Amino acid sequence: MATPPPIDPRGPRFNQSVLAVALLGGFLFDWRPVVPLFALVLLAGAALGPRYGPFLALYAKVIRPRLSPPSELEDPRPPRFASSVGVLFLGAGTLAFVAGHSGVGWGLALIVAALAALSATTGICVGCEIYLLAARRRPVTS
Amino acid sequence: MLLARGVVVLVLLFAVALVTRLYRQWREGVRSDRPDHPAVPASLLAGAQRTWIVFTTPFCASCGPVESRLRASDPGARVVKVDATREPHLADAFSIRSAPTVLLADAAGTVLARLVGAEAVDSYVRSSI
Repeated sequence: MATPPPIDPRGPRFNQSVLAVALLGGFLFDWRPVVPLFALVLLAGAALGPRYGPFLALYAKVIRPRLSPPSELEDPRPPRFASSVGVLFLGAGTLAFVAGHSGVGWGLALIVAALAALSATTGICVGCEIYLLAARRRPVTS
Repeated sequence: MLLARGVVVLVLLFAVALVTRLYRQWREGVRSDRPDHPAVPASLLAGAQRTWIVFTTPFCASCGPVESRLRASDPGARVVKVDATREPHLADAFSIRSAPTVLLADAAGTVLARLVGAEAVDSYVRSSI
């Protein structure tokens, strides 16, 4: 499999900022549809590629042209893996809401919000680190 | 209810800030002002007076440019690239947590500097070479 072209790391960071703010806002005002909505948003980017993630596309088309070029690029696979983990958590949260366990639903959503906030503000992407730690133990063919 | 949820959000943000601080300390690994690294293996040094060891991963998009920058800025030194995913014993021995992490070693294999991240390398190169 060919190595995918590197991406501007500010795209995923913008996506994570929107995700964190939306989930924290949704929790604050108990607006539960935000959880399945952002599960779909993350799913689109993770499964189909950045062009299909609405906020990744917004960044690429509207914001990035107004910024200076990035000082460094990153491999898209770790953030894509992190998005997949986010989809799992938000999907499980949605199921918890449907089953009437709103505490569990919000708990899962808040985990995603905290990790997204961490990544957006500092660049520390826990899902990416898990991917990289796994890769360190298991050489990956590029 | 809104107040309680607001408190939860604040606690969460505080936790994020705390984790950030702890993670940064962990990511830096061994501090460059306390170089308690093991000696760099002679096979990496190959008799050079100064050797840059660039720890990379297949996912590190900025590692290639860092390596090129070091070669261009310090032509008298040897530059060796080590893929941490293929040399996990070396990565563990030098507490490599992220890529690029760059070590500067003298001819005896003593680590003189440890730089984590492309920006740290840039700033070191600008100020020291």
